[in-house]
Amino acid sequence: MSVFVTELKRIFRDPGVVVIFIVATLAYPLLYKAIYWNEQITNVPVAVVDLSQSAQSRAFLHRWNAAPDITLAYTCNSMLEAEQLLRNQKVHGIIYFPRDFASQLADPLGQAHISLYCDMSSFLYMKAIYLSCNQVMLEDMRTIQIDRYEQMGVGKDFAWALVQDAPYHETALFNPTGGYGSFLIPAVLVLILHQTLFFGICMLGGTAREENKELYYLPGHRKSVAILRVVFERAAAYFVIYYALATILLGLLPRLFNIPHIGQIGDILQFIVPYLLATIFFSMSASVVIRNRESGLVLLISTSLIFLFMAGISWPKEMMPDEWRYLSWFIPYTWGANGFIHINSMGASLYMTRMEYIALWLLAGGYFLLACVLMLIHKDLRYMSDSHATLQLEPAATAA
Amino acid sequence: MFARPLYLFASVGVMLLSTFFFLTLMRHGTAEQMPIALVDHDQTSISRRLCHEMQATPSVNIVLITSSYPEARETMQQGRIYGIFVIPEGFYDALVTFRRPHLDFYVTNAYTVGGNTAYKQMLTMVNLISGAFQREVLRKKGLPDDVIMHRIQPVTIEGHMLANPWGNYSVYLVSTILPGILGLICLMLTIFAIGFELKTHTSHEWLRTAGGNYMVAMIGKLIPYTVIYLVLGLGCHLILYRFAGFPVYGSHGRLLLGLVLFVFAMESMGILFIGLLPTLRDALSIGALYAMLGFSLSGFTYPQMSMLAPVKALTNLEPLRHYYLIYVNEALMAAPVENSLPPAMALCGFMLVSLSIMPRLHKALVYQNYPLK
Repeated sequence: MSVFVTELKRIFRDPGVVVIFIVATLAYPLLYKAIYWNEQITNVPVAVVDLSQSAQSRAFLHRWNAAPDITLAYTCNSMLEAEQLLRNQKVHGIIYFPRDFASQLADPLGQAHISLYCDMSSFLYMKAIYLSCNQVMLEDMRTIQIDRYEQMGVGKDFAWALVQDAPYHETALFNPTGGYGSFLIPAVLVLILHQTLFFGICMLGGTAREENKELYYLPGHRKSVAILRVVFERAAAYFVIYYALATILLGLLPRLFNIPHIGQIGDILQFIVPYLLATIFFSMSASVVIRNRESGLVLLISTSLIFLFMAGISWPKEMMPDEWRYLSWFIPYTWGANGFIHINSMGASLYMTRMEYIALWLLAGGYFLLACVLMLIHKDLRYMSDSHATLQLEPAATAA
Repeated sequence: MFARPLYLFASVGVMLLSTFFFLTLMRHGTAEQMPIALVDHDQTSISRRLCHEMQATPSVNIVLITSSYPEARETMQQGRIYGIFVIPEGFYDALVTFRRPHLDFYVTNAYTVGGNTAYKQMLTMVNLISGAFQREVLRKKGLPDDVIMHRIQPVTIEGHMLANPWGNYSVYLVSTILPGILGLICLMLTIFAIGFELKTHTSHEWLRTAGGNYMVAMIGKLIPYTVIYLVLGLGCHLILYRFAGFPVYGSHGRLLLGLVLFVFAMESMGILFIGLLPTLRDALSIGALYAMLGFSLSGFTYPQMSMLAPVKALTNLEPLRHYYLIYVNEALMAAPVENSLPPAMALCGFMLVSLSIMPRLHKALVYQNYPLK
């Protein structure tokens, strides 16, 4: 276990790595929870331009104002005035009733129009304004339709059957309030584990190379056997630390943060194992290429957003070009995030998540071999350049 | 700086990769036809025909027709569908005898874009079923089609999505993500460029080259980087607003100026971090944390108005927040120039902050009195 213990010592003696492995891993979730604390967006300010000035439009506005999503902040006399407010970001939407709104409603053959203008600087404004307005409109519409049918001499029951021949009921599953944090935070928790491991391991690899240490020289072993042991035992050191962290982040925090957590904790704890292993070996493979400890941070920081989007969390995987989707299969985060969301947020069992689970084991195996091969090749290359013994070592390198 | 390929690769490579990635990833712009399941509890020849008719509707993507709700739910839990539409038992009988059968549908909110799209699809399906039925009944009563239309829909809402009439996700997200990534690179590379001199004990030599004047040294060092950042910023602007055709309703010049100020602000924050924490790795770690939070705190996805008061105050400490405000003013709102002034002033403010740290940074360069590893 010598390599295992050495690696643990290296981690805890390096303040930079400790900050990334432990402080960042625990602080990030709290920051994100604080940012998305309110989950919902409420009281989006809207301006009203009501040219019809009718009892019907006022009744409509009254009911709409009762919706928590929006608040009628300003009443304007003209569109010009309302546009001014929108431009100055005092409101994020405008509702406009034309002059003939009431008369069209009164006319049994008329069709009344409402215009809605939405600020698109954040899609959540549009969603809040549009959905709540639509809901009020649908309710209104039914009452008007019933009235009209009754005027035609259609009985109330039959009128209802006509107006809503097949009433529907919608149920939002797994995140009933549609909260933004409830949707994003589970994915972010998995990403934090992925990226801190990625950076931390690249930093350690960079340091070792910088100090030019033959860290894990194991006398009495064949080189290939030594490398297998080194890779395996170093990974074990990261795994021990991260299993504890992942249990906190993925097992405890969803419960503490009161975001969806309907999965079996046992399934989550089991799912974490291949996820961490795949991420560790993935990062170890990457760390071989990193030349000094800081390069990793500079280069890899921008991968965070790419990994997040490639996993199909914010933008559905069905809408991605195939090339990116195939590439995403090689990133442990893709399987980890989706699998965790399926188990934790959607209550899937580990058996239902078997595709992600198996994919992660395959990635873990694949990256383990890759890490070993890269190390073998890399050390040979350095030795070659040091001693100029090119010819001698070539067969060994190809054999690897 | 060209001796280490990292610099060039980091700035140009990462920016090219990100631009290419985000523009191709969301090239469809809007999410459509998310896969959904149809649960047919009716199991009559008519309900089956209905299922196949809905399957043939172009805007609807039904990937599973089953008689078992648990099966559909399990498929959803595996992330393969985003909605479930349930036709109840005895549906058609109830419909034609005006007994108003209930339709049920379920969407997953664990994936919001997919869930929303599935929701819209299922509303279309309800309208398909009930609108067609209503029209049939009214036609039998001898009403002309235009009258029927107004009866079915006495009120309509015309939605206008200002400045992004297509509801294009790419326009909405990439416009802020790409400048954000550019800012991230500026910040990290500025820290790296200065911190590396400290780390490798070459800061004396660097100061000597500049004739001992640390301001000259600083400016001299940062000019080549700044040129690269500005070229990248200009490239980014041209790609988004010329090549990809993203809308700019206000002034291109002022939007670009906003980006330039943003680049300077992020560089200044880089100087601030390496000045406060002259150990390269510490400054980089904190800088990375700070810049990553910028994406959330800028409020382009989850609006700032819905954040807690203390978090709302913190958003002002992120240059990306101010760039986003300029972007909204210039690209989307075509607002008067006065509206872009406060965020532009704020970006200039970040530059002043970096000046205040200069004396401390100077000491670090001269005495190299920090843990340099």
